[in-house]
Amino acid sequence: MFLCFDRLRCWVWAVLVVTLGVCLWAWGEPLVLDPPTAPGDLDADIEVWAWNIAAGSLEHLTPMFNEIYPRCRVRVNMNGTNVQSRFLLSLAAGVGAPDVMQLQVRETPRYSMTGKLTDLTEVAKKYEHDFPPSFWQDCMHDGRVYGIPWDIGPGGIFYKRSIFEACGVDPESIVTWDDYVSAGVTIMKKSGGKTKMLCLPRGMLVELFEPLLQQSGGQIFDKEGRLAINSKESLQVLRVMRRMLEMGIGANINFWTHEFLASLKSRAVATYVAGAWFGGTIRDDAPTTSGDWGVIRLPEIEPGGLRTSNFGGSTLVIPDQCKNKEAAWRFIEFALCTKEAQIEQFRAFELYPALLSTHSDPFFDEPEPFYGGQKTRRQFSLDIDKIPTMYRTSNWVETERYINQTFSRWVNDRMKDPEGMLAQLEEKLSRRLGCGISPGSLSLGGRD
Amino acid sequence: MGRGLCRRVWAHRHFYVFISPFFILFGVFGLYPLVFSFYLSFTQWDGLTEVTWVGLGNFRNLVHDELFLASLWNTLVIGVLYIPPMFLGAFVFALALNTGWLKLRGIFRAAFFMPCVTPMVVVAIVFSLIYSEDSGLLNYALGKVGEIFPPLRIEPIAWLTSDRWFKPAVALLLVWRWTGYNMVLMLAGLQGISTEYYEAARIDGAGVFQRMWHITLPLMRPVFVFCAIMSLIGTVYMFDEIFVMTQGGLGGPGVSGINFGLYLFNTSFADFKFGYASSMAYTLSFFVFLASLLILRLRKSET
Repeated sequence: MFLCFDRLRCWVWAVLVVTLGVCLWAWGEPLVLDPPTAPGDLDADIEVWAWNIAAGSLEHLTPMFNEIYPRCRVRVNMNGTNVQSRFLLSLAAGVGAPDVMQLQVRETPRYSMTGKLTDLTEVAKKYEHDFPPSFWQDCMHDGRVYGIPWDIGPGGIFYKRSIFEACGVDPESIVTWDDYVSAGVTIMKKSGGKTKMLCLPRGMLVELFEPLLQQSGGQIFDKEGRLAINSKESLQVLRVMRRMLEMGIGANINFWTHEFLASLKSRAVATYVAGAWFGGTIRDDAPTTSGDWGVIRLPEIEPGGLRTSNFGGSTLVIPDQCKNKEAAWRFIEFALCTKEAQIEQFRAFELYPALLSTHSDPFFDEPEPFYGGQKTRRQFSLDIDKIPTMYRTSNWVETERYINQTFSRWVNDRMKDPEGMLAQLEEKLSRRLGCGISPGSLSLGGRD
Repeated sequence: MGRGLCRRVWAHRHFYVFISPFFILFGVFGLYPLVFSFYLSFTQWDGLTEVTWVGLGNFRNLVHDELFLASLWNTLVIGVLYIPPMFLGAFVFALALNTGWLKLRGIFRAAFFMPCVTPMVVVAIVFSLIYSEDSGLLNYALGKVGEIFPPLRIEPIAWLTSDRWFKPAVALLLVWRWTGYNMVLMLAGLQGISTEYYEAARIDGAGVFQRMWHITLPLMRPVFVFCAIMSLIGTVYMFDEIFVMTQGGLGGPGVSGINFGLYLFNTSFADFKFGYASSMAYTLSFFVFLASLLILRLRKSET
């Protein structure tokens, strides 16, 4: 042995102690820029994980970012498969996570709660009022900010003009969900049963239930994390969905399947209830249908009610293990909190910006040939700040799945007794998740 | 004694170095996860925050977990629906391929084996086109039959989203997918039976059925047992078929569409409840172990 063992041991200990010290010092500290590094001096590698068009969009932004921060090297890693599991693994292992990560809006809270994301409150709170409140809420946990909303999905109904014209249905006449169902019945009749109004897969009802519940101001959990799904709002939404199912206007086609994407090009389905991002899907999968599309605002649930809702979107966060948080933050700040970058992403990749200041840009008022000249961007932006906040919990995904299973059983059971079904659902969920029931719930008398 | 063992190991250390790669890899990728997940089954862990020891709490919850019980029941029903026809089919095809007069045997063998090497994603697309309620091939065919013979007219069936039809539809897919695999195993078994037995039986005047009953079936028993154990384990841990036919448990007919494999996957990798998932996996592997033991015992007592 040439190497002295004692010396080696000393080195190992020294490295361990220093690493531990650095970890302890860095762990859980909110990001503070005191003083901030000058843009020209910020020197770092930034690795970003994102998926499909979102990844392309960030890559597209990099040259613009480098004009201000010339010494930051951004690498966008577009690794679609199992990205959530791998992100979880890297968080658990403490190494391997990217510097900037894209998350689904509805999954952001469960990661914020783990304490493995960087607390952005100090640097980000000045942007709070630049975003619609309901989307900002999804990035918050315990009064702290852990992410920034990126693209959002204000809802609407995408319809095929040719089908509406052929069946003599005026899209402007659809104001309430009942109008929508009647229009669906007309289209079914006129097409000899060949054209259904929408895709309403019996096993994925929660995908429609949740945005409509948010539209009506209902909740699954209350602010304190107690179950509040047994409410008059839920019943209203179930009534709408039940009518759709009873009138047979919904095609039983699961979302995002081959058959679903094929329906964009055929006459099998007349409309799609979706967020603004759906336009990008149509463009990608059915480019030949350009010009045939139009967008109606989301029908109201109650007379005079809100005509938009939140159909998902994504956020950007910084894992706590990121080595150069300042650079990562500067990238997020540039990409999501500046008007130019957000407009550029919207223009090139159809990522509907969450940043409110972008909504006054003339780009929103340009007629869009893809929608037969309609100005859908402006239409989607209406009332966006009025969308009610939805309180999400760490077990959101499990809850959604459970609700989904209960609903599809209810449909198989001929949709009997929605009140009883909801009460039972709430009680079972509360036992399953080990959480209480909100005093506002109908199960407890609906004291509201 | 212990010292003697150590000394002997040391004396032969070079050989141990040569066989060590397997043990190192097995230890890291096989044994460690096994032991760790056994430990996890007594804890609550979301993969990120601290591990909390809950003792037997997970196992207690399992008993009351309606989804767990439903998933076991569904697994059982699917197994009962698909294993018998699959075995019968595999055996009949194996017999046919084993006869002397059949031509193009290689092509048939490859054709029957093809489904189980086809990627599940492709299978999923094809079967979703067959099973679709509004525009599926199967409903179209049934509709045509109804047009020709009006008494047989039926409403389109929601194969993959109704309580009643989901399991038969999946069972059909499973039969299609795994018959070829079992057929190849059984064919190998049949070819292993010496023709002398058949010749002797024929000389003694045994007919086709007697030969089948007294020679083929008894000698095939080890192959049947092997296929049975493999199918049992395959049924319990079946995952990808159900996963793709229900869109990850979101698109199926609610509770009646989840099997054990899917529930295990969702509990661990969608809900991040690794402790609970481990206790689930250990509970079930205990029963699978017992069942396999039972099958092996039965076989031993018969011979």
